[in-house]
Amino acid sequence: MARMTHKPNLHLILGILFVFTQNVRGEQADAENCFLCHDLTSFILMENPNTLRNFEVTSTSYQHSTHRNVICRDCHTDINQFPHPEAVQKVDCAKACHVTKPFALTGYSHTDQRDAHAISAHGANLNYSKEKNDSKPGCKYCHDNSFRNIIEDEVLTASSEHCMRCHEGSGLAGVILHVSSHSAHRSASASIKVVELCSSCHADESRMQNFDVNLTQVGGYQNHFHGKALKRGMDNVANCMDCHRNHLNLPADDPNSSTHPNNIQMTCSANAYCHSNATAKFSAAAIHSKPTPTDNPIAFFVEWGFILLTAGTMAFLFAHILLDFGRWAGEAWMRRKKS
Amino acid sequence: MSREYLRFSVNQRLQHLFMFVPFIILVITGFPIKYPDSNFGTMIFSAIGGIGSARLIHRIAAAVMILDFGFHIIYLFFNIIVNRLPFSKLYLLPNKKDAQDIVKNLKYFLFLSDERPQFHKYSYVEKFDYWAVFWGMFIMAGSGLILWFPEEFTQLVPGVVIQIAYIAHSDEALLAFLAIIIWHFYNVHFNPRVWPANKVWYKGTLTEEEMEHEHPLELEEIKAREEGE
Repeated sequence: MARMTHKPNLHLILGILFVFTQNVRGEQADAENCFLCHDLTSFILMENPNTLRNFEVTSTSYQHSTHRNVICRDCHTDINQFPHPEAVQKVDCAKACHVTKPFALTGYSHTDQRDAHAISAHGANLNYSKEKNDSKPGCKYCHDNSFRNIIEDEVLTASSEHCMRCHEGSGLAGVILHVSSHSAHRSASASIKVVELCSSCHADESRMQNFDVNLTQVGGYQNHFHGKALKRGMDNVANCMDCHRNHLNLPADDPNSSTHPNNIQMTCSANAYCHSNATAKFSAAAIHSKPTPTDNPIAFFVEWGFILLTAGTMAFLFAHILLDFGRWAGEAWMRRKKS
Repeated sequence: MSREYLRFSVNQRLQHLFMFVPFIILVITGFPIKYPDSNFGTMIFSAIGGIGSARLIHRIAAAVMILDFGFHIIYLFFNIIVNRLPFSKLYLLPNKKDAQDIVKNLKYFLFLSDERPQFHKYSYVEKFDYWAVFWGMFIMAGSGLILWFPEEFTQLVPGVVIQIAYIAHSDEALLAFLAIIIWHFYNVHFNPRVWPANKVWYKGTLTEEEMEHEHPLELEEIKAREEGE
């Protein structure tokens, strides 16, 4: 008994949660019978001859989605009559809904995330035009809440290792709290999806042209340890969010940024699965910038030194081989001619 | 039957074996990470059990190779200090004659002369192979260890060293792989004068004819020494 540890068994917890959440799935959500119409295939409104709006929400898909326990009007708050008004407000993710927080009696809302996002690099900037601010990602850009696509259970299994990286250390209660909310929401995404999502803007020249964003960062990540290991299936390496935060993304020159030189060591060493013994020097290593002669001359010249060394050596070796072979072939040809 | 001359001792042949077996394993487990999009790498990784196994196997092979290289260094010093064999008698250092041999050989290749350079125990081609491995071992083992223990190394050195180690490990790996598969394999396998293979790496001996053709100066010296005795 003395050898027993308090390390929680994630799979056991997930298993228990799975069993206990089966009977509530999807029943609450359609208390107001919205699916009577919205479940119809091709439930489409023709607004004018050129624009079709799709209002189809298949019940089976919705019941497998993140929000399957949230009734429709919790988010679509201004739809109070039937037939519905033509112009309706966009959904506000910071509204509290009927779902209560695990271990709390308050209504669940995404206020914390919304507030963090608002002051992050992705939030609206007063100096920017409306178009420019609108081109920044809001909640739904990243959380596309794809209730039209059934989220496979594998997604969560594949990334449970990734979740445990941060949340193993916070005790059993912390794990239950976290895992229950995530298994209920099914919003955990595999790291490779996170990188894909961030890259969809940060590696896209046309989308980034109005912003002061370094386009080489995505390529730099893909060509460095984390990116390469991730491509080869190591799900527990750092993805974009692990270092740059999920909602409070700030540029590295902001003193509150997780990647600011004063904070980067804390970010690298934040949990046992990463670099818990990261030194300040370790954390200062550039991990996804391409070395340039001005900001990283040593690495730049080492890189070029190897390119020249490899090219030069191989050119000499190739020439030597070809000439050697040429002599042999020439002699063989001459012998044949003689005989 | 012609006389056989010992070229590589059992000890030396084993050193070569413990160098090239890990080398092949390191290439197989390392290159799929250098080229993470390659289908060939995906095939290799699915055969050996993914990146987790690859990392473990890579490090075991690296340890064997580093031990082998360490043994070689001790072996060199043992010969020089204990066996009192002067370093010059190991015939390993490049010298003026090697430069002259290169020029002579290039002239021969281009049909400008019919005289082949006469080699002693090691030709400049073989010396190049030897010192390339020597240099490669320092680069690969040094950078590999930094990448294996980055947090520990950065107690002492700045973070840019990790980045340099990463560049060096990746680029030197390519250079070493190309040098082996193109240069070394040509010289010991694909060269039509050698084809299908130079068997000295496991036989350890050369025949009198081979000695006359490849290492005439060494043969001369051996014969002169025997006559002196």
